[in-house]
Amino acid sequence: MTERTAGHEEGETPREDESALLEVENLETHFPITEGWLRRETGRVRAVDGVSFELRPGEAFGLVGESGSGKTTTAHSILRLEAATGGKIRFDGERVTELTGADLRRFRRRVQLVVQDPNDAFNPRMTVGEAVAEPLALHGMDDGDRRRAIVADLLERVGLEAADADRFPHEFSGGQKQRISIARALVCNPDLIVADEPTSALDGRIKSDILALLDELRREFDIAVLCISHDIDVIRRFCDRVGVMYLGKLVEKGVTSEVLESPAHPYTRVLLGSVPSLDPSDREFVRPLTETVPDPADPPSGCRFHTRCPELIPPSDVALSRECWRTIARFRFAVEDGQLPESVAVETDESSVDESTVRVAFDLPSTIPDETVDRAVDDAIRSLSDGDLEAARARLAEAFPTVCERAEPNTGDERERSVRCHRYDSSVEAAPRSWMR
Amino acid sequence: MSDAGDPHRFEEVEWDDLDGSRQLLTPTRAAVLVGLVVVGCVYALETVGIDVTGRTFDRLDWVMLLGTVVLGSVGLVPAVRHRPLLIRLLRRLFARPAHAAGAAFLLGLSLVAVLGSVVLGSPDLAFQHRFHAPYGFTSVNGWHAECLGEITEGEGITRYCDGTAAYPLGTNQRGHPMGHLLVEGARVTLTVLVFTAAFVVPVATVVGIIAGFRGGVVDDLLMSYVDVQLCIPAIVVFFIGYMYWNVSLLLLLVTFGLLSWGGIARLVRSETLQRREDGYVLVARSLGASRSYIAKRHIVPNITNTLVPAIFHLLALLVLVEAGVAFLGFHHIELYSWGSTMQEGLDPHFSGIGLEMHPHEIWWVSTFPAIALTLTLASLKLVGDGVRDALDPRDDH
Repeated sequence: MTERTAGHEEGETPREDESALLEVENLETHFPITEGWLRRETGRVRAVDGVSFELRPGEAFGLVGESGSGKTTTAHSILRLEAATGGKIRFDGERVTELTGADLRRFRRRVQLVVQDPNDAFNPRMTVGEAVAEPLALHGMDDGDRRRAIVADLLERVGLEAADADRFPHEFSGGQKQRISIARALVCNPDLIVADEPTSALDGRIKSDILALLDELRREFDIAVLCISHDIDVIRRFCDRVGVMYLGKLVEKGVTSEVLESPAHPYTRVLLGSVPSLDPSDREFVRPLTETVPDPADPPSGCRFHTRCPELIPPSDVALSRECWRTIARFRFAVEDGQLPESVAVETDESSVDESTVRVAFDLPSTIPDETVDRAVDDAIRSLSDGDLEAARARLAEAFPTVCERAEPNTGDERERSVRCHRYDSSVEAAPRSWMR
Repeated sequence: MSDAGDPHRFEEVEWDDLDGSRQLLTPTRAAVLVGLVVVGCVYALETVGIDVTGRTFDRLDWVMLLGTVVLGSVGLVPAVRHRPLLIRLLRRLFARPAHAAGAAFLLGLSLVAVLGSVVLGSPDLAFQHRFHAPYGFTSVNGWHAECLGEITEGEGITRYCDGTAAYPLGTNQRGHPMGHLLVEGARVTLTVLVFTAAFVVPVATVVGIIAGFRGGVVDDLLMSYVDVQLCIPAIVVFFIGYMYWNVSLLLLLVTFGLLSWGGIARLVRSETLQRREDGYVLVARSLGASRSYIAKRHIVPNITNTLVPAIFHLLALLVLVEAGVAFLGFHHIELYSWGSTMQEGLDPHFSGIGLEMHPHEIWWVSTFPAIALTLTLASLKLVGDGVRDALDPRDDH
């Protein structure tokens, strides 16, 4: 493998782990936003913006995050369904984006995809047998009888009957279709299966069955799985390691049990908090400042999560209680986003919103212990009540500079656990908060 | 697990032993090639003056031969290769009486059109037998110089001539038997159908799929072109051509056929757009399938629900347009289109025979082609729906 690798690496730093099956390094996939006939580029959607992780053979790695975080685009970039605009993807030591001819065909055989919705995973006009045999035919197995025999054997092994090969997809339930989907991914004997939300369209017991089947096959055939899900539960049950994505960035990654037991990044905590908990006192702690996910075409500067981060780092000269700071931060980013409650909506010209209404709407105390902060908030509220959103925005931004907005957090290089948050950066004077559940 | 080395288990496949080379010469391509070579050879021989077929071909005949090659290789060869599929399809098509009747009519029409003139021959002009009534009916004696049937007496001096078995469907003003005219009309209709199916439909489908699949500038350009094309009235182009060149059926087919596929292309494009992000297309792409493979295996089979009725609608439309233009009199004088025959029967004064008669007195001249035309249009519509239903595995009846 080392000889094969050599040709593809010119002056790159030697990799830490030679046994990695898939390595993704600073992957970027941007989509241009174009305008007019000449397709002039007017902006870019940064769907994936610097994602790095690796998978060892037989390992299950989970990518978790809200919809729109770039999980699926990451998967599609790895499969070369979308063209990566930057970074490197190596499969078995070879640069995936540079594969051609027979090498590319081998890659396409060794990496298989299981798509999200079992209902559109199959061509309605092809029998299940044809669908499962399609990878074989596409990869050059011309012997139809052999294809049929392999498919019949495989269908039985994923829990269906050999006779099902002659039936059409619409005759099967969602769970059965997902089994067939897995059979189709398995038929080329791959080394890596990319499973995009393999269970999101299924319910309870069937979900467990499918996960168990996938897990069993993974262990039996030593297949690595890249599992994409928004469902923490799936990740917990299925993945050895996990990466948490937010707006195109991987904010935290590590061994699943560690990340889920003691999440370090505030976003991971928010994500875990979104799973209903029995103890209502937990809830307040993990709520994000605002609910709207920023537009990936215009992501926030610095740490991408700072506009919603409940653990936003305050300026060093501000001494406020955590609750109070969070209220003010929420106020600031709501104003910045223009996400104002109805009572304070300032679109109309004759608006004369009462200053106290604003305070009530944002839960702001009438006086704030810190004098500079108090003045800034007062000014902002006055601007707001005058209907001048811009001035309020500028005033607040100037009054509360935060490192989270200014600088992009670094991620530690340790392979086992990395967190992309300023609170874990020793050069920033802010200690991580402890996680209590 | 047991029995290692079983070639029927996926984990035992030795992928490096499978070459995975693509077959360049598929049966379809071979058929196209052979067909083109044969037609080319005949054409070459005919142009240097060696008569191999015993008849002369005009330009339309060559176009029809090419069309037959296209239809035969793209339609017939795959149909024969996938016989079980074809049989299943036909069984489903013939399961409903209405669809079966339509299909049978079209089949009969094609047979009559191809074999009719061979079997019946081409009767000469027989003005002495003009306006004979169909068997069992009568026409006014004296319209024709020679009455073949019984002559019965009517009011005053009027005498009636009974129709005879010699002309079971009667004759027109030139003494042509109506049967012959119907067969000739069927030939014209089949020409329209073959030309449309062989040249117009593939263009529409391919353009629509390319536009939908590639998107971007290609899509913009193709769809702008289609927009422009939809704005050009085919009949104006036809009349311009009519003024400057010889009038021919080919001119009509080219102008109307090649200006009328825009609608289908748009339809195919929007359907392709909907399907290209579907899971099975993603999986096929991740397996390294080519665009043409995906179009052929995954896109086209899944848009038949809209594509097939639209194609049959276009076929019916062009048959009607041909009849309409011929009805107006802008047809080649030697081609007895149903439209022109109907016109002759409806306007006896115009036919220039100097007789005073009402159209209803020679009803058979216009009625039989009208019935044939109506049945053809209805059959096309029915078969379109039938084929659509037969292709959809979800629609069991």
